[in-house]
Amino acid sequence: MLRAFELTKVFGGLPVLQRVSLEFRPGEVHALMGENGAGKSTLMKMLAGLYQPDGGIIEWRGQQVRFGSPQDALAQGIAMVHQELMPIPDLNVAENLLLGMEPVNALGWVDRAALHQQAQAWLRSLDTELDTTLPMRRLSVAQMQVVEIAKALARQADVILMDEPTAALSDHEVAALFKAIGTLRARGVAVVYTTHKMDEVFRLADRISVLRDGQLVCTQAASEFSPDSLITHMVGRELAQVFPPVVTQPGETILEVQGLTRAHAYRDISFTLRRGEVLGLAGLMGAGRTEVVSALFGLAPADSGQIRLRGQPTRITCPADALAAGFGMVTEDRKGSGIIPAMSVEHNLTLAALEQFSPGSVLDRSAEAAATRSATADFAIKASSPQQAIRELSGGNQQKVLLARALLHRPDILILDEPTRGIDIGAKAEIYALIGRLSAQGTAVLLVSSELPEILALTHRILVLRQGELSAELNPRQTNQEEILRHAMPQ
Amino acid sequence: MRLTPRTVAGGFLLASALLATALSTGCKKAEARKPGEWLVGYSSRDQSAEYTARLGDAVQARAKERGIKLVFVDAQADAQKQISQTENFISQKVDVIILNPCEVEASSPAIDRARAAKIPVINVNSLTKAAPDCYVGSDDEQAGILAMEAIAKKLGGQGNVLMIHGIMGQSAQIHRDAGARKVLAKYPGLKLLDHQTASWDRAKALALTENWIQAHQGKFQAIFAHNDEMAMGALLALERAGLKKDVYVIGVDAIAQALDAVKAGRLDATVFQDAVGQGRGAVDSAILIASKQPYEKEVMIPFQVVTRENVDQFLKK
Amino acid sequence: MKAPSLHLDRNLLHRLGIVAVLLVIAGALSATTDSFATASNLTNVARQISINGILAVGVTFVLLTGGVDLSLGSVVALSGVVCALFAHPGEHSLVVPIGMGLLTGVACGLFNGVLVTRGGIAPFIVTLGMMTVARGLALILSGGKPVADMSPSLTNLAGDLGPLPIPLLCFGVVAGGSWLFLSRLRLGRHLYAVGGNEQAARAAGVSVPKVKLFAYGLCGLLTGLAGVVLAARITTGQPNAGQAYELDAIAAVVIGGTSLSGGVGSVLGTVLGVLLIGVINNGLDLLSVSSYYQAVIKGVIIVGAVWLDRRQARS
Repeated sequence: MLRAFELTKVFGGLPVLQRVSLEFRPGEVHALMGENGAGKSTLMKMLAGLYQPDGGIIEWRGQQVRFGSPQDALAQGIAMVHQELMPIPDLNVAENLLLGMEPVNALGWVDRAALHQQAQAWLRSLDTELDTTLPMRRLSVAQMQVVEIAKALARQADVILMDEPTAALSDHEVAALFKAIGTLRARGVAVVYTTHKMDEVFRLADRISVLRDGQLVCTQAASEFSPDSLITHMVGRELAQVFPPVVTQPGETILEVQGLTRAHAYRDISFTLRRGEVLGLAGLMGAGRTEVVSALFGLAPADSGQIRLRGQPTRITCPADALAAGFGMVTEDRKGSGIIPAMSVEHNLTLAALEQFSPGSVLDRSAEAAATRSATADFAIKASSPQQAIRELSGGNQQKVLLARALLHRPDILILDEPTRGIDIGAKAEIYALIGRLSAQGTAVLLVSSELPEILALTHRILVLRQGELSAELNPRQTNQEEILRHAMPQ
Repeated sequence: MRLTPRTVAGGFLLASALLATALSTGCKKAEARKPGEWLVGYSSRDQSAEYTARLGDAVQARAKERGIKLVFVDAQADAQKQISQTENFISQKVDVIILNPCEVEASSPAIDRARAAKIPVINVNSLTKAAPDCYVGSDDEQAGILAMEAIAKKLGGQGNVLMIHGIMGQSAQIHRDAGARKVLAKYPGLKLLDHQTASWDRAKALALTENWIQAHQGKFQAIFAHNDEMAMGALLALERAGLKKDVYVIGVDAIAQALDAVKAGRLDATVFQDAVGQGRGAVDSAILIASKQPYEKEVMIPFQVVTRENVDQFLKK
Repeated sequence: MKAPSLHLDRNLLHRLGIVAVLLVIAGALSATTDSFATASNLTNVARQISINGILAVGVTFVLLTGGVDLSLGSVVALSGVVCALFAHPGEHSLVVPIGMGLLTGVACGLFNGVLVTRGGIAPFIVTLGMMTVARGLALILSGGKPVADMSPSLTNLAGDLGPLPIPLLCFGVVAGGSWLFLSRLRLGRHLYAVGGNEQAARAAGVSVPKVKLFAYGLCGLLTGLAGVVLAARITTGQPNAGQAYELDAIAAVVIGGTSLSGGVGSVLGTVLGVLLIGVINNGLDLLSVSSYYQAVIKGVIIVGAVWLDRRQARS
């Protein structure tokens, strides 16, 4: 019914999807599996008209089509239920569900009774009872999702794309969603679906396609996979030769974390970190990795728990505290909480260590310029000049500026949250080498990464988080990606 | 308190109950009102401007003297607000409305609404397009004529004059301008060199006069400002440029500062507009109308030119 | 600065855009009037732009953090009234009325800042509230009437010091100081960082509330100063003075290339914007343009200047 031929998508010079060909059939639930960044979301967004392919074609009911926008795709019967739902929170359920296609009476006014009747009917077709007069904001995430699906049905969608629909759901909400998906399948709708949850795939999917590094690995009936074979397909790559060997012997303990807890994010996290040690933090998206390191850096303090630094109990309530205590951090969200886009490379670079350059609060601009010169050389930052606005740099160079910023005041503990996301392989290798050098100089590094090869090759120890709890501590020399994933997958 | 539908609904109920009580007692009062307990509504144009504030004070003082009830509100120079205030007067069932209109056109609906509700309206101090039952004020054209005549007399009918307008389109501006131009037409030797608005504002008149000094230095002998605030601004600019001795400056309203300046020999003259007279006249007319006695449709309080010679008698007022 | 850079060029272009508009208008005025290009008229322009200039520099700080201050005009009136109340001859030394005027401005500014940072209320709403509150307070304190009878020692502040008007000197000191502050002090850099990306600034150890509070407080101080200068210039504390001054000030800042969303801008640009508005006002009076047309022409020139400027910056 819906076919993709050799679809290709390039972002900022990096191919994120390469010549992927797939076919979706009516009445099937088709799961797209792969690691973070494998290209699942990109593929879906192209099918739904959010992105335009840079190569390849989409064929719909035997005809080649181009969707200029999600509205185009919807008009043809292809709807997407997003990872971040986009309802209009103050309109009620019925108004959201039938937005833009409200029944009107002879005078052209919205017929409220008919509106609610129709909305009820669509919801009942998914075996769901909901008060359609409730404002959308009062609904749970699962209920919103059902409304979104009903919305897709009301628009006569024959294909419904769902990007991680269960990521934010509780168990019995998941059950309700699965019931709805079952109804869809029975009606002959094609459901395309991504998830990280292994058990779901085998309960739900008819067929599974595995993507890795933007390429299609295989498409098979779900029954032909076992959980282990699926993981091997998802991960299955050679460790590239870009990783420096781990040679440093960790020194004395510098950081002890005890019983760190924050409601709805993580529970009872305890670990230690030693000088010169690289500690990996692995886990799926939403497992609480970013939240834990954000607490250490004072971005989002924990509800309870203790942090001891160099043997002393330490309270960290804001990033300024953390910087003063000897932490440095490169956050996961480069655009949101990393760069200041309109500022120059130089000003971005010195921002966190400005005290060094302004004794008595007056800036010593020649010292600033000198520090920038040496940092751009050390980190091989490619910018036309230190005065160039940072937003004009490539992602990799922006990331190197942020690393340089974090290191400018010589932290004892460096937190790196997904430091290599979305940057090219060359810049990645430079960052890997840097982590090795820092470790040799005695800096403790806490590395959060979704790229398992990275974690395996660079760290001394690996902690695995599962749904907000520590599930394992592994020795990277004696484990493999499959084992990490097994500890990371929700049971 | 969190806004839930229930608290909102409760709030509405409570508010409407209060309103209903207030309205019903208000109605009873209206029926039981005796002569001598007249209820009169007064809407002031702008209590932050000196002249209208004095007018408002005079109305309040006179109302107290004559023992009538006065509902006093301030439209803050907003015609829209004045209309809603008039609507409130109507629902309060006042006997007479005294309006100190904000604008000629924009305040007219207030009159129409009052008349539709059969409540008589008195305009005080300025006019509206819609005709009220009674007008108490001073003929602004007269002020323009008096000021320009004073200039003509001083210059012997020969010379160049600058004029600073109030906010364009307001009754006082339109009529003071018209009066001034009537006089100018009479004296062929008297020329209007330039004219601009400074919106009744002292700082704006100051900057405008500074610019005029640059543009027309030595070429003008007199400035007529539509009010004293602006005359004071012009005066400051001339004094700072050391040109005051060559230029005759006259304003309108006779505000306290202007009278002091006339007394001190800084400002040449101002045209006295009798706020107390207007206020008394308005209240007195209101009582006549309320008690269904004959009244004058137009009560004119005369303007007077104030110079150094006669300033003392105005300073006492 | 070492090599010429794209970033610098772009900033330069920005300013060249306004400078070009300014030069064209000044050239036209010189050609069509005898009086524009005279020393006394230029002093005149300088005197007239000072108040808007001081306000514009003040609000530049707030706009840089991504905020806005709509209460400028009302706070000018309130500070002027407070200053005049303490300025009757023989009552206090010169320091008291000036100090009280400045203090009033700072208090209003800090109040805005606290509500924005602690209260988490949008700056537009907070300062809109302050706009009416300050106006009301000015009317209450003055009893609705201009506060007159100010001592000559204070009103002389609107006069000249040697060849230069004192208000212009105030503006000059404020502009120069602010320029140094923003380009040379750590706190100045922090202001840009907060406006450029609040989350990132926080993650880099910048205390965002402190920086914002400072910006609103400083803006308040300069607004107080503008109020004192205005009171001296018109020799009274006028409770209804300063109507819509915030619009002229914000217009000048935006003409000068400061982004309304924060993080981008400079004092030099603001000064150029102030000059442009001042020259337009002066020129239209010199040309005896009718009051009705003045309003239209001014609006067209302001929007046109910004449009030209942005177009040039993009290319």
